[in-house]
Amino acid sequence: MPTVRLRDASEYPELARKLFELSKAWFRHDFTEPPAMSRVMAWDPEFGGPHGRAMKRAMGPGEFTRGEKEMVAAVVSGVNACEY
Amino acid sequence: MTGDAVWYEAAFVVGMTNALNVVADGLPAGALSGADDRAGDDVRALFADIRAFYGGEEPAALRVLAGDPAYAADVWAAVKRAFDDRLLSRRLKESLAFAVCVTSRSSSGAAFHLGQMRRLGVTDAGVREIVGVTQMFSSYTKIADTLQLDSDMGDIAPADPTPAPGGPHAR
Repeated sequence: MPTVRLRDASEYPELARKLFELSKAWFRHDFTEPPAMSRVMAWDPEFGGPHGRAMKRAMGPGEFTRGEKEMVAAVVSGVNACEY
Repeated sequence: MTGDAVWYEAAFVVGMTNALNVVADGLPAGALSGADDRAGDDVRALFADIRAFYGGEEPAALRVLAGDPAYAADVWAAVKRAFDDRLLSRRLKESLAFAVCVTSRSSSGAAFHLGQMRRLGVTDAGVREIVGVTQMFSSYTKIADTLQLDSDMGDIAPADPTPAPGGPHAR
């Protein structure tokens, strides 16, 4: 059980709700509520903003495709024993 | 990256990378005598195969394991199967292994797989991409774990209905 109460998208300011729309586009999936991590990052835009940009830059296609990078991410998450 | 088969391949790479790292990094130096140049034909053939696969290099752990040649041969067969070009390329598999080593702080493993990535054509920019993903997901996962978030990404990918390879329902 989360150690914090995850706020519904409607509890966030307008700007954060726009970012949730971008997150839908990024994952190409229509979530009923934005993913928990998107809502966590939106809690502090001055942290979540640069973190999100670094993440997007790291995950964008380059020498490796987005799909290959998602697999690297899954492997790193596995080694870190992260179920999320 | 859809379908389960690629994820089985990735998981086997992660498993065998970790298996080699625990021996290479976990065992105190000299804890076990490995195989050397006086080894028999079976060990020489084994290391010829290993070096052919890795472009002249060999993972340090296999030299230690070869003190028991039959065991080392089976470990090597599993490693080779896991890392061979199949649905996933060797280039990607070495990159996954590199990410595993960096994440689990295996410097020797990271150096070995970095060498293999370069041999297989990954440039500095490509290595930087893998380091970036590894670093960002080392942040992401710890934030998620600290807050004990439940996964809500499970519905993104559909379940793969295909049967196990060679099973009664396989075509």
